[in-house]
Amino acid sequence: MGIDRRAFIGLVAGGVAGTLFTPIPWKMADDLSIWSQNWSWIPRVPKGPVAYAYTSSKLCPSGTGLKVMTVGGAPVTAAGNPDHPLSQGGVSSIGRSETYMLYSPARVKSPLKKVNGKFEPVTWEEALTALAEKCKAAGAKIACVSGDQTGTANEVLSAFIAKQGSSAYYMVPSEKQSAAKAWSLMGGAGQPGFDVDNADCVFILGADMFETWGSSIRNRKAFGASRDASGDAKAAFIYAGPERDGTGSVCDAWIPVKPGDLAMVALGVAWILMEAGAMPSGPGAAEFVSYVKSNCSPDKVEAACGLKPAVLVGVAKMLAGAKAPLVVPGSPCGQGGSAAAFMAGMALNMLLGRINKPGGVVALPALPKAVDGAMDQADILKNDLLAFLKDAGAGKAPEAVLFYEANPAYGLPEADAMAEAIAKIPFKVSFASFMDETAALCDLVLPNSLTLERFDDVASPYGVAFNVYSLVKPLTKPIYDTRTTADFILALAEKMGASLGFASMEEVLKAKVEALALAGGFIAKDVQPWQALAGSSAPEPSADLWADLEGGYAWVLAAGAEQTGLGYAGGVLAKAVKPIEGKVVLAPYARQTSGTPVMGIPAQNLTIVPDNELINTATFVKMNAETASWFGVSEGSSITIEGAGQKLPVKVHLSENVMTGVIAAPLGFGHSAFDQYSKGKGVNILRVLAARVEEGAGVAVWDGAAVNIA
Amino acid sequence: MEKKSGKAGGVGGFILLFLVGLVGSLIVGWVVFPSLLFSQKTQPIRFSHTVHAEQGMECEQCHYLTEDGQFMGLPSTESCADCHPDETGEDTPNGKEIDKFVNEYGKTGAQVPWLVYQYQPDNVFFSHSAHQGFQCTDSGCHPPVETMDAPPVYEENRITGYSKQTMKMWQCERCHAQMGTSNACYVCHK
Repeated sequence: MGIDRRAFIGLVAGGVAGTLFTPIPWKMADDLSIWSQNWSWIPRVPKGPVAYAYTSSKLCPSGTGLKVMTVGGAPVTAAGNPDHPLSQGGVSSIGRSETYMLYSPARVKSPLKKVNGKFEPVTWEEALTALAEKCKAAGAKIACVSGDQTGTANEVLSAFIAKQGSSAYYMVPSEKQSAAKAWSLMGGAGQPGFDVDNADCVFILGADMFETWGSSIRNRKAFGASRDASGDAKAAFIYAGPERDGTGSVCDAWIPVKPGDLAMVALGVAWILMEAGAMPSGPGAAEFVSYVKSNCSPDKVEAACGLKPAVLVGVAKMLAGAKAPLVVPGSPCGQGGSAAAFMAGMALNMLLGRINKPGGVVALPALPKAVDGAMDQADILKNDLLAFLKDAGAGKAPEAVLFYEANPAYGLPEADAMAEAIAKIPFKVSFASFMDETAALCDLVLPNSLTLERFDDVASPYGVAFNVYSLVKPLTKPIYDTRTTADFILALAEKMGASLGFASMEEVLKAKVEALALAGGFIAKDVQPWQALAGSSAPEPSADLWADLEGGYAWVLAAGAEQTGLGYAGGVLAKAVKPIEGKVVLAPYARQTSGTPVMGIPAQNLTIVPDNELINTATFVKMNAETASWFGVSEGSSITIEGAGQKLPVKVHLSENVMTGVIAAPLGFGHSAFDQYSKGKGVNILRVLAARVEEGAGVAVWDGAAVNIA
Repeated sequence: MEKKSGKAGGVGGFILLFLVGLVGSLIVGWVVFPSLLFSQKTQPIRFSHTVHAEQGMECEQCHYLTEDGQFMGLPSTESCADCHPDETGEDTPNGKEIDKFVNEYGKTGAQVPWLVYQYQPDNVFFSHSAHQGFQCTDSGCHPPVETMDAPPVYEENRITGYSKQTMKMWQCERCHAQMGTSNACYVCHK
């Protein structure tokens, strides 16, 4: 028996009516709405006990202490450790990304070996055997390039190549190295530090100290502490630099100065102080006085820099009238700073009598080493990576080079030439955690475990006025097949019959901490190091230093190195002070939101990169309306910057926060490696920045460079 | 004269098939659909709450609030291993389950992937600490597992992935309304 049309309609109608009295439509509508919110790529909240653990950031150059929240043992978020003197509860966007970067798509997930131009996974044992053979063959013709500015891993690596007979250990250039070279030229001892906390008038000479200079989070805290909302500011801050950037915009005054003119401005202030009676003494003082008096009078500074004499007089009066004035010289972009500007700034500090004084310059004595045979940090900082790579490019490369936490193929000036030079090195190994530009050029990539997965340490980041030591300890097992590089190097040395005396980085650190305990110092808990510098009694040394460090506290030593040979280096200054010649100066700047050369742009930071720096793949450079009128460009115009033999297409953003004659350009973009969050985002400004060598000082400088605009 | 077609038709046929459709859809909707919507899963370990209760254990020994208000709903492998560090070697059903736990989790350190009947979605912040005044089972939130020798079957919604026992928002709101507690969005959605 069949059914006709009417009966069929009855069946359907009955079915529909009945369905309406079942859960199907209502449950389906509800469930589908829930289903539509549960896509596979949406992160899930992990379940488990919530706990907090303490460590310090290695990705962030400021070395802040971290308070990491874990859920079920897995690190979830990183915040500032309120009990750490370099953090005081604050955290940079880089430090905060320590947890997110664990899961970055750019991570190297296992050891890789390049075969016919492509990477293939190998085991750690295979990698160990292969590298041991290469290192044995290379002998003393081995070098190491390190980007770790604060770690004892440098002792392990430098001791390893020293056993091979090599002293070719290079640090990636930083504020620390620029300062070390200039300070050494002045006859200074120790690592220069600046007691911002106890100063009452801070003249910032170029240093972007709330963003990329020194321990920036601690600098921000010191600035904040001086701005108690209940009363007047306890300290005045004056910023001299090419752009009213994150530092300049919060200071009490911004003095527009091009990067190449920072030394001249400081010496102009020195001229006024000397006219008022300040008299330099010590090595190089006579040449200094002669040079400053002849070349740095306010009218001559105005002729050279366009700065009105009244501005210099104002700065000089503020410094001379303060109880604890401090001059902080540095680079506006956190690297490639001028030795002349540093020496001129430090000469001001000396003229003001601010060496080894509370609120002044406190140079830090070297910390004891843990690894026998490791190179002294001071000796390492004398080695010039740029010169080394230029030699490599000219065919004078050693047989093998180890790159540790370093990405010179991207992060150095004239980046194209640097990458070409690295490519010419016969055998190269990267210990990068992420597939960066340098790792992509290497023959072996042996991924270092990340901060939260390894034992490591942070010793006295540049700029702090007290020695400070923090422990980095693993809070989770490695997410991927990675190893702590120092552990691997110790195993490599053992395999090659050149044991360094330690089985693991943990052992090295325990030896380091034992040595620190003998050096004195205390745990920054009830008394902070800047209070000790100001005269507070230091507490008793820790009874169990390792346990305190594991608990997230920092060991500190508030004592300055004795200065027996410090002078004005007038002869060097006389040769080194030179402006950047050119109609327009390219002044790079860096932001923590854009990451660092070794980590790329953290994925979660892309949303906070402003539209006046990057839109899709276009990088924006800033210039003021007057500079723009020189080239007939306006907001959004496309221009080409030419420098160092390269051309870069960028777009224009008009900003009156940039001084006339300067183009401010953001660093951190234009990666050709990493992941979709970094690769192809804008251009790498370092490609058009040519380093200039300051005469007399012999220091390569690239905080600004003359460029052509088309 | 019109020939009889032999097909069901006319008003009678309409009503007949309407009823067939109505009844059929009701059966599908109330009987077939639920069984299709939910898949059934068993717990990785047949944990007997009654055996543990008979030993004199209190619920709070395994399910407790910490001092900071966190609810430790599931005991860790380590805490289970405190009492069950080694295999029993027994051939009884309970002995076999204990040995399964020891071999697969106790010895490896892996956490038991318990299936939780009441997990809320990620966008819901539920605090056991704020609900301490209510009985776990009498309030209707949890099944009375303390009387069960075997855990109930876990039914998972094939579309949403949530447990069948996941409390719906209206249930939360109703209880809040009855208790005079705020039903503002931010109370549960932080």
